[in-house]
Amino acid sequence: MDADTAIGGSGGQFPSTQASLLEATASGLSGDAMNQVVNLYWKPVYRFLRFKFQKNNEDAKDLTQGFFTSVLQRDFFSRFDPAKASFRTYIRMAAERYAANQHASANRQKRGGGIDFETVEDQHIAAESPEVEFEREWRRQLFSLALDDLSTYCQQSGKQLQFAIFQDYDLTDGDRPSYADLAARHRVPETSVTNHLAWARRVLRGFVTERLRGTTSDSREFHQEMRRVWK
Amino acid sequence: MEISNSVLEHLRHVAALPDLAATRYELESEIGRGGMGVVYRALDRQLDRHVALKVLDVPLAGEAQLIARLEHPSVVPIYETGVLPDGRCFYAMKLVSGARLDAYAAGQHTMSERLRVIRRIGEALAYAHSRGVIHRDLKPQNVMVGEFGEVYVMDWGVEAVAGTPAFRAPDASLDQLSDLYSLGGLLRFLVPASLSPAVAAIAAKAMSADPSGRYPTVTAFLADVDRFEQGLAVNAWSEPLWHRLQRFSSRNAVLLWLLAAYTLVKFLLFFLRKF
Repeated sequence: MDADTAIGGSGGQFPSTQASLLEATASGLSGDAMNQVVNLYWKPVYRFLRFKFQKNNEDAKDLTQGFFTSVLQRDFFSRFDPAKASFRTYIRMAAERYAANQHASANRQKRGGGIDFETVEDQHIAAESPEVEFEREWRRQLFSLALDDLSTYCQQSGKQLQFAIFQDYDLTDGDRPSYADLAARHRVPETSVTNHLAWARRVLRGFVTERLRGTTSDSREFHQEMRRVWK
Repeated sequence: MEISNSVLEHLRHVAALPDLAATRYELESEIGRGGMGVVYRALDRQLDRHVALKVLDVPLAGEAQLIARLEHPSVVPIYETGVLPDGRCFYAMKLVSGARLDAYAAGQHTMSERLRVIRRIGEALAYAHSRGVIHRDLKPQNVMVGEFGEVYVMDWGVEAVAGTPAFRAPDASLDQLSDLYSLGGLLRFLVPASLSPAVAAIAAKAMSADPSGRYPTVTAFLADVDRFEQGLAVNAWSEPLWHRLQRFSSRNAVLLWLLAAYTLVKFLLFFLRKF
């Protein structure tokens, strides 16, 4: 599989007082709201479209870019009804509808059209439904953005040690070092390791919460999405 | 920052664990996940006893205060409430051991024992309603039957909880009659309609789609359950004549036997005198 795109970018600054999505759009901040939406949803939409419509990397990127461009041009937020579905579901369905139209149009032009085959590597990922993939990617992106927020916050507030310990332990794939190893590596008591880890996790959770608050419409949807993140 | 699936799952796990360093509690294990949060088994270091610690997903303090107002044998008592450093609320409550109602229902229990459980649940609801509290999400998973038969109603709801479809009233907004609907659902769940048409009728009345067709209160519902247990006609069902006779005969079995014996003796005496 091709490497994933980097479009979508890393997160911005710590959004300490996030307005909800609808509050932001209602008060004329639709540009800010849109930035947050694009930051959080670019990759989930990209992966969803890629596996749902069996596109290669570049086509999926173009399709995703086209979708978000069309969203910007249309009255996207005002048509969202929180009573019917979460914003996450709304954006996935809108992306699917957009891509289906584009797909049908492209196939008509090809008059019988070529079929895009999945690569063998893609097939094991596609064993899960694109909807499940979308949700997992949404969670991943939410945590990625929150980690960027945490990293920036630690840099700015002189908490590099806390972040380094957190990185060495919680962001390690595979076997994690023992607390004693970490204490020796960073020349701090073992109790500091657990304290620093607890602090970083707590702040990370705060950033996840803030990111989520900024991309949900009201407190009810926010609470429901919180449960989906942590369940 | 790019993260793998395994790191993502690890972060979701560790960032969700409550930071209890500043409290008297020590986390032991996860017990379950409810409508609004996660329940852990924890050790109260000061009193050296185990408690159930519920950590709410969202910063809502109302739920604990809501339950703390309820002092009833069938409402799990709250020991303490608090706020974690990340802003989440938690409350420590009695650790209840026993079987959840869905597991209990699968066991071998008499009709009378099942109705006793319903009565305990109903009494807790009626008490809560008298204090202005509604449950909102009454279902078998939120009821625990202890090893000595004690019954606990748990997970008293807050506004964000919308109920569980099979037991949720189709009402536009949830109120005391919506709880009554759920209680009817529990009665139907515990006592299948095939066992007693009268009990089935009580459950059906409580679960009427139109709230005005239900019992006016949980107390009225319990009164009908009591009438059934005493062998009286229930308000929810206009029973056929044969059923009324059957009920009359089973209620007055001793009297009927005495009457039959008396008639037999009189009959025998009449023939003995004649021959």
